[in-house]
Amino acid sequence: MSVNSDDPDYLAELYLLQLEREKLNTWEKIKLAIYDADRGEIFGKDSRRWVLAAMSLSFWWIFSLTLNPRTPKHLTSDSLIGTNPGLGFRPSPSTEDNVLSSLIWFRGSNASYSFWIQNLIKFLDVYKKPGQTPGQGQNIHNCYYNQPPSPGQVCFVDVKMLGPCTEENFFMYDRASPCIILKLNKIYGWKPKFYTDPNRLPNDMPFDLKNHIRDLANSSDQATRLELNTVWVSCKGESPADAEFIGPLKYYPKQGFPGYFFPYENSEGYLSPLVAVYFQRPRTGILINIECRAWAENIKYRQKDKQGSVHFELMID
Amino acid sequence: MSNSDLHGRTDSYRTATIPYLPDDNKTADGKIKSRRKNAAIKKQKKVDNLDDLKQELDIDYHKITVEELYQRFGTHPDTGLTHAKAKEILERDGPNSLTPPKQTPEWVKFCKQLFGGFALLLWIGAILCFIAYTILVTTVEEPSDDNLYLGIVLTAVVIVTGIFSYYQEAKSSAIMDSFKNLVPQFALVIRQGEKLTLKAEDIVVGDVVEIKFGDRIPADIRIIECRGFKVDNSSLTGESEPQSRSVEFTHENPLETKNLAFFSTNAVEGTAKGVVISCGDNTVMGRIAGLASGLDTGETPIAKEIHHFIHIITGVAVFLGVSFFIIAFLLGYNWLDAVIFLIGIIVANVPEGLLATVTVCLTLTAKRMASKNCLVKNLEAVETLGSTSTICSDKTGTLTQNRMTVAHMWFDNQIIEADTTEDQSGVQYDRTSPGFKALSRIATLCNRAEFKGAQEGVPILKKEVNGDASEAALLKCMELALGDVMSIRRRNRKVCEIPFNSTNKYQISIHETEDANDPRYLMVMKGAPERILERCSTIFIGGKEKVLDEELKEAFNNAYLELGGLGERVLGFCDFMLPSDKFPLGFKFDADDPNFPLKGMRFVGLMSMIDPPRAAVPDAVAKCRSAGIKVIMVTGDHPITAKAIAKSVGIISEGNETVEDIAQRLNIPVAEVNPRDAKAAVVHGTELRDLSSEVLDEILRYHTEIVFARTSPQQKLIIVEGCQRLGAIVAVTGDGVNDSPALKKADIGVAMGIAGSDVSKQAADMILLDDNFASIVTGVEEGRLIFDNLKKSIAYTLTSNIPEISPFLAFILLDIPLPLGTVTILCIDLGTDMVPAISLAYEEAESDIMKRRPRNPFTDKLVNERLISMAYGQIGFIQAAAGFFVYFVIMAENGFLPGRLFGIRKQWDSKAINDLSDSYGQEWTYRDRKALEFTCHTAFFVSIVVVQWTDLIACKTRRNSIFHQGMRNWALNFGLVFETVLACILSYTPGMDKGLRMYPLKFEWWLPPMPFMVAIFIYDEVRRFYLRRNPGGWLEKETYY
Repeated sequence: MSVNSDDPDYLAELYLLQLEREKLNTWEKIKLAIYDADRGEIFGKDSRRWVLAAMSLSFWWIFSLTLNPRTPKHLTSDSLIGTNPGLGFRPSPSTEDNVLSSLIWFRGSNASYSFWIQNLIKFLDVYKKPGQTPGQGQNIHNCYYNQPPSPGQVCFVDVKMLGPCTEENFFMYDRASPCIILKLNKIYGWKPKFYTDPNRLPNDMPFDLKNHIRDLANSSDQATRLELNTVWVSCKGESPADAEFIGPLKYYPKQGFPGYFFPYENSEGYLSPLVAVYFQRPRTGILINIECRAWAENIKYRQKDKQGSVHFELMID
Repeated sequence: MSNSDLHGRTDSYRTATIPYLPDDNKTADGKIKSRRKNAAIKKQKKVDNLDDLKQELDIDYHKITVEELYQRFGTHPDTGLTHAKAKEILERDGPNSLTPPKQTPEWVKFCKQLFGGFALLLWIGAILCFIAYTILVTTVEEPSDDNLYLGIVLTAVVIVTGIFSYYQEAKSSAIMDSFKNLVPQFALVIRQGEKLTLKAEDIVVGDVVEIKFGDRIPADIRIIECRGFKVDNSSLTGESEPQSRSVEFTHENPLETKNLAFFSTNAVEGTAKGVVISCGDNTVMGRIAGLASGLDTGETPIAKEIHHFIHIITGVAVFLGVSFFIIAFLLGYNWLDAVIFLIGIIVANVPEGLLATVTVCLTLTAKRMASKNCLVKNLEAVETLGSTSTICSDKTGTLTQNRMTVAHMWFDNQIIEADTTEDQSGVQYDRTSPGFKALSRIATLCNRAEFKGAQEGVPILKKEVNGDASEAALLKCMELALGDVMSIRRRNRKVCEIPFNSTNKYQISIHETEDANDPRYLMVMKGAPERILERCSTIFIGGKEKVLDEELKEAFNNAYLELGGLGERVLGFCDFMLPSDKFPLGFKFDADDPNFPLKGMRFVGLMSMIDPPRAAVPDAVAKCRSAGIKVIMVTGDHPITAKAIAKSVGIISEGNETVEDIAQRLNIPVAEVNPRDAKAAVVHGTELRDLSSEVLDEILRYHTEIVFARTSPQQKLIIVEGCQRLGAIVAVTGDGVNDSPALKKADIGVAMGIAGSDVSKQAADMILLDDNFASIVTGVEEGRLIFDNLKKSIAYTLTSNIPEISPFLAFILLDIPLPLGTVTILCIDLGTDMVPAISLAYEEAESDIMKRRPRNPFTDKLVNERLISMAYGQIGFIQAAAGFFVYFVIMAENGFLPGRLFGIRKQWDSKAINDLSDSYGQEWTYRDRKALEFTCHTAFFVSIVVVQWTDLIACKTRRNSIFHQGMRNWALNFGLVFETVLACILSYTPGMDKGLRMYPLKFEWWLPPMPFMVAIFIYDEVRRFYLRRNPGGWLEKETYY
């Protein structure tokens, strides 16, 4: 760091020092470059900066000893992540070049929709890896409502159960009826509270979902009633016009995320449960605003900042 | 004898244009003169006028005969002007009053506050913010409001600070207005044979006026008749003694000649009749006032320093901005983003709160000075005395009391000192000796001065007296020594008197003595000592009357020389008891043709008087000199008196000699003395007139103790300019009209509040409301202190700039989520940092600031590279490290380890990504991760507050250890508490997250910055320790600001 002192004597001193330095041989110059007692410099910078850097790094090292490699220090309500998971959707329009886009836009032609197909394939890749077939992997387990995973185990997600939304079918993009895959955000240690009482369902829940829950609740079969332990999902058009254009929807494998996937505890190889939403006949040539919501008693929904939901747009030419 | 011979200027255009015919307001070809002139001619005219006014007065009205005078003005001594002619002249020349100095309109003053210096920087910042916001609004769907808020806040800061400063200055100019003396003046004028009483404004040139004692002279007049007329020219020339006037032309210099009297001086005795020769702005006083108002005051030293500081800050801001603009491009940002970054960096460099801090600090000092009776007219002048390296002081009324007082007496062959202090706290002398009794009797009786009525309760020395200054001095001295002079006079009834006249130089009166047993009359006489001595044959010494022999005459001469050499005015006293056989009771004494002896009297003693220095002055001068300030006396009075006063106040110190003193001591001619041997110098005004500026510079440079005597107002100005040319910062103190050009030109002009004239108060920057010269010492101390404390304030405020800017730089370079937001930056600069920064103004001086030399304005800057290096490069870095540390800690504790953060910026800020994963696989919605980001902003903000605790303590002292300086600055302690409480309020108050986006912090997040805070404390203590150990070493050169 060169300091322009106002004192001419000081500048003269510096100049003389410089002159002397030039007379040294190479070895001494190297030694000087490493440690300069006259100027108080180490490696050409002020030793003060190095002390500061060393100090900061050592503080950091001490701090990092308090961190757990598997578990975040603060969980759910203790952390800023809170207890209200949002939803994610794939394919994701947000790329390096266009990070702000939430529009899925394509034409019937191959070139146009291949981007989205590739995106989905890449996303589902981790679900298809060998070693993930139950029994063959270390901790993968075929779970069910009455067979929750034990600690350290993860549940298997079968991507062949996504209805028509498969790679072989090009995820139905070639037929202008795209599949969009939803997933619930992972929050370490978050346990959902399911809607179990059909009389205490929120007013804004869509009718068919309400009916579905009612049917499950009124079923005489214990196993069926266990299916109430699901974080439900529904999508709709945001405005009345969008609701009209969105067309009929189907959800695969079911309209929600089974409860046995929760809580997420950063187990090795954990897979998030998926719901594929199949847009059977969306209106073409027009932009449709879509909102998908997760339903559970402890998932709060706020339209303003999209809590407990996700928003994206769809446009098929 | 033409004008050109007198002044050696054969081609003076003034000589050519002095009219011998009255001006009839027509051009050469008969048209009326047009009033419109174009601007260029006006400006040139202004410069010419100023140069003109600087020249000495060049008129000839005192030289011409009275007949020519009457002819020129078309007037007659007995009838005066006709009404018609007077009216015509009045219309042509305008009224006889001074055009008041151009008042800058209020809105202009307000605009100067609003746009001056620092404020301009903030305006530019605000405009840049609005530009940035406009760019965002037109290109991005949902632009953040940050830039808009920042622009609005900057604008608000500038406006509020501008209003505050304007209000402060308006208050002091209100006080100025109260000084104006609005009593209209009247004068007795002869017109068309009648005597009229007119307002002074209606007088025109050529009018014949009559003046008696007690009147103020209404215009410059040439005296055509006078009886015992004396005027007091002190406000014009600085001469403390009343000057007698006559009808004769006695001196080339109009200010010296006896047949002129000048506007605004007072007639103290006698009566006179005169012809008005100039009015209003053309009078001598008018010209001086015109010179004063035409001068440019120039920039105050502190204003220069602030400009220098702004240049540095702007340089750093632009450098950083442009570098990162280029870097942003290289990293692939589009040009719009890069422009936003450029603007953001430039604005972040501007310390928003500093303008208010500097204003408040100066205001606090101004208030402190006001409580010590120093009224400062503009805030910046508060600091100027602290940078002053030379004081040019007027003598009469400033250094002295402007009141003749008896200082010494000589009787019984010894010199006795009288008490000249204002409150009789000095030496007392023996009043019982017969010599004193005789002397005091003469002084009481041979005296026509009387106290004015209705002054019970007023201290004797402050009572007003009818009579001339010397007699007033004697009267007061006697009143103090004997008490109730009036009853003494009543008991010794006066039967005859011959008043003082300038030919005889004595005055006599004859009294009946109060001794009932003694029927003889007492004749008492006083006057010029040598005249008195010639009329004496005996001398009263030791209670006995002795014959006046050579030895005693020698003693008398020595005493007279000694007292005269002290610059005092000496009077001799003698008496004689008239034998009762020749002069029995009832004798008719004849004053016009004396029928009594005027010789053979008994010499009693001498009394000498001087205008003594004010009590506080010698001490103040000594303090100024030990503070390294040169004190120069510049007066219109005589050199001997000036030198005597200079010696008694310490301007010329013991043992220092002038060239004349050396010549006298070594008995060699003055020309042979090496001027370098003489430290002191006394320069006469006439010598000054012939000096070139190089020679004047030499005198100023090589003599440490200088007295300029008999200087005209123009010469005072030239002296001030000479000092400034040598690089000094000059303070001028004065009270009269003759000081006003110098007061205006000085870097700071100090006028006396009570004794000062309106013109000088108008021209000055600072007014001593109680005329106490010692307040100047206070001013110097306060000025130096505020300069030091402003350095500390600025260092403190600038330090937080680095931790404020570096998050933004990291955001650009490292692609991490923004660690510190705009709102939080504002909370620091305009919130938590303000009170501590202002509290540094209350810091006590580190060492004895009055023992330092004045600062060198070229090298000792307010803000220098060392300050910047300390604030930005050293402490600032530690603070930034603390902020980043807590940022990474919070991110990590919530799930985002540092590695995950690099490169994540775009996705982090994208609303389209609702499931951004952290290092533990958790997925964060946009809303939740923004809450995390804002929590980091809050924590970064709190960490800056925490590290600023020790930065504040470190900035308290530049050299001393904190353990030495102590924590007695309670304003600062309060500041520490206040900023912490404010930070807590901002973080923890519910609802802050909606408005300011400040989130509550876990208590443990206050801890990460603590080790850095301690590091700052230790670092600076150690640095200052080595600084004190190695004064002048490289550490001091690199870090002592």
